[in-house]
Amino acid sequence: MIFLGMSAGLIGALLGTTVLAVIYLYWLKPPPQRVVVPSTLLWNRLLKEKKRNTFIDRLRWWLSLMLALTIGLSVAAGIGRPELSSPGRDIRNITVVIDNSATMATFTADGFTRWERAVAHAGRFLRQGSASGKFLILDTSGQAPPGEPGDRRAALEVLAGLTVSLGGVPEFPDLPEVESEVFFISDGVMVDGAPPEATLISVFEPAHNVGITAFGIEALPSEPTRYNAFVQIKNASPVAEQVTLRLSGGDNGGIRDTLTLQAGETRAHLIDLSGFGRGPVRAVVTADSDAFSADDYAYGFLPVRTQTRVALITPGSLYLENVLADQPKLSLEVIRPAQYNALVSADVYIFDRFAPPQAPGGPALLFLPPDAAWLTPTLSVVEVPDAPGWNPAHPVLRFVALEDLRIDRAARIAVPADAAGPRSYADAPGDGAATQIVVGTRALPLILVSDREDRIVRVSFALEDSNFPLQPSFPIFLANALGWLMDEQVALARVPGRVEVPLPRAVVTDLEGNDIVAWPLSDRTVFLAEQPGLYMVAGEGDRRLRVAVNLASTERSSVNDSEIASGEITAAASTALASAEPGPNDELWIFLLLLALVLVVAEWVTYHRRLTI
Amino acid sequence: MSEKGTLFDDEFLKKLEYLNLVSNHMIPGHMHGEHRAKKKTDSGIEFADYRQYVPGEDTKNVDWRTYLRLDKLILRLFEEEADLPIYIFFDASGSMEYGDPVKFDYARKIAAALCYVGLLNQDRVNLVGFADGIAHELSARRGKHQVWHAFRFLEAAESHGATAMEKAFKAFFSSRRRRGLVVVVSDFLDEQGFSRAFDMLRYFKQDLFAVHIHTPEEAHPDLPDEVLLEDAELGTSQRVRVTPALLEAYAEQFEEHCEEVGGYCRKNGWGYLRTTTDVPFEDLILQVFRQGRFLK
Repeated sequence: MIFLGMSAGLIGALLGTTVLAVIYLYWLKPPPQRVVVPSTLLWNRLLKEKKRNTFIDRLRWWLSLMLALTIGLSVAAGIGRPELSSPGRDIRNITVVIDNSATMATFTADGFTRWERAVAHAGRFLRQGSASGKFLILDTSGQAPPGEPGDRRAALEVLAGLTVSLGGVPEFPDLPEVESEVFFISDGVMVDGAPPEATLISVFEPAHNVGITAFGIEALPSEPTRYNAFVQIKNASPVAEQVTLRLSGGDNGGIRDTLTLQAGETRAHLIDLSGFGRGPVRAVVTADSDAFSADDYAYGFLPVRTQTRVALITPGSLYLENVLADQPKLSLEVIRPAQYNALVSADVYIFDRFAPPQAPGGPALLFLPPDAAWLTPTLSVVEVPDAPGWNPAHPVLRFVALEDLRIDRAARIAVPADAAGPRSYADAPGDGAATQIVVGTRALPLILVSDREDRIVRVSFALEDSNFPLQPSFPIFLANALGWLMDEQVALARVPGRVEVPLPRAVVTDLEGNDIVAWPLSDRTVFLAEQPGLYMVAGEGDRRLRVAVNLASTERSSVNDSEIASGEITAAASTALASAEPGPNDELWIFLLLLALVLVVAEWVTYHRRLTI
Repeated sequence: MSEKGTLFDDEFLKKLEYLNLVSNHMIPGHMHGEHRAKKKTDSGIEFADYRQYVPGEDTKNVDWRTYLRLDKLILRLFEEEADLPIYIFFDASGSMEYGDPVKFDYARKIAAALCYVGLLNQDRVNLVGFADGIAHELSARRGKHQVWHAFRFLEAAESHGATAMEKAFKAFFSSRRRRGLVVVVSDFLDEQGFSRAFDMLRYFKQDLFAVHIHTPEEAHPDLPDEVLLEDAELGTSQRVRVTPALLEAYAEQFEEHCEEVGGYCRKNGWGYLRTTTDVPFEDLILQVFRQGRFLK
């Protein structure tokens, strides 16, 4: 017999201590309770008679002691996890690497997914061999905690907690530097790089799949208020498929298109969303047979502008008035600074070389505003500043080129301490800072955007002091600025899995309004998007973001791009699978605990029936 | 033991009044009951018998009509009621200091009630507390006015020491006592046994009414597994491993003991009443009355 939980010395000490403790407790005679009776006359008579039964009493006492010793030893031995060493079940160290990349969610002909089959195989490998072997379960998405091989039960628990990871970059994990048999269970689509000593167990089976491999909603550069949806569909099935594409969202009844795709064909669609209203947009593809559903739908957000009232407060600016007059869905009211008062109502305010003493009641675009209490002060005036750098990733500067921008004079304004930028933005619309310098430097910011309660775009030079209004990108900038001020942004594009959004301490909800568990991470918020969908992220104040989580990946949709042919299985794998048939559980602790439980119950019953005392 | 002055409170006295009324109702005219020793004397009201006149006797009761008819001097005799001596023995040993209410208080209440009824019946009542001898004694009293005296005596009585009934009876009856009714209120837990004491009463030709008191716990004790039993009378202790079988055997032993006392009394034509302290004492007294020995 082998003890798995403790060393032989320790288990011996434990058993010895248990025996001593039980015997000591049996010999220990606590002082009896003193009870006064009127007379011991009758008791004495009775006890004289009872002395004849001493032998039976001693027998009972020994029986009770033996019972208590058996219970104690069973529990003590159970703690040590004894195992029967049976011949033919040699001690093996087994490491199982299980592929949990997206394509493992593909259904097979028997109704199970590749993942479910892989888990079943992994469980069989972990249950084979002696319980005193070492076991480790690893995955290709980093869900399993790295570590050394250990307990079989722990490995089975890890296996039970693993799921298919639709996102991320799956890769073969680093193996611990311990000698062990390595089994890699995979469909061979997304993960390669398995070491040669690993025995590959394939769960691949050809499957039908049609999926959306790209989806996006973009404004036309020439007409920023008009949007197109880009949809790319791939037929990854081995045969031609008739595919139905449906696009729905807002109040629109949707668009439906049926197309036939040859095996392996990819086709892109550009769909005009003029008929769609503002709101979420959902694209769905359906085919007669589809074994992988995660890529069948994709989400986006259509930020269509509604009729916007713009109040332009200017001493007179032909540039602004002309460009704004050409903007669609915009109702312009031009007001002279002297006529401006707090009662002026608009959706967006544009202040040209003017700033009211108090902040307006909505988002504002300011060109060279004079000092006001609600704005950071002007420190100095800089003549002919150098050609500025800019952040093209910010929505205000999308499709805006500023190489030819020349400025004669600009105000050097104080920058808030928490302002960010300028920098290259990996994620639009920028990092989590509420104020960002999108054009210029920290020493001389030329355009600042502030994403506070009411958004502000502040340009620190006058249009008349620069060639900005003459630039082709000026109308685009103005349209972008109005769109951003009116919160007209498409959703951030992300893949399923761990999603980071540049808003601190934000609340995340899905399309149905269900709260999604999110964790603050420095100036960002992180949440897990297990499935594709559109998620709303609400930060402090009125800051909001939309995140479209879509699989949209050619690699993930190509569920048949496996390096393993169907049914291919190496001889070693075949042997391994055959030997991995579940055997009897050799661990005895459960039986010992059951025995202890039965004996405790028996002791309890016999004690209460006064059979053992 | 209960506090002085609280044993025979107003409530108790009301119950005694009630008991007296009930006793009158149960046996009408019991004050002149048949059981009483009756002397045929020349005084009295109720005619009883005739007898031959002996010269020298008072002639006031000579039946002259009979003389004229038979020419014989015949005396008319009348019955005169003799008072009944009642000896109430209550156990004042240490074993009576047990239970809730304690047996000793219960015994004293019974003694007080019987004494009250006896005194109201114009009987001569003796009260004797006994342990390993006579511990307290109130000599013969008669008449209602002696009730408070008797109560004060009972209230002052204390219980301690071992039980030795035989010694107590011997000490009491060795001085000349008239035949009467001996009421013994006790738990009869006597190391020497009760039979020798009862034999002594039989020897003195006394009538006995035994009131056997015990608590419910005495009959069916609830004891922990390991217990040190301490004798309330002797102070000795005994370590006992208690099992249900032992408790059952004890209960049987106790029952046997009670049956033994009762059987002995019945065999000798004596009255015997067994009770537990949870029975209201007035109910017990009524049972005593119903047995008919006390009230006749």
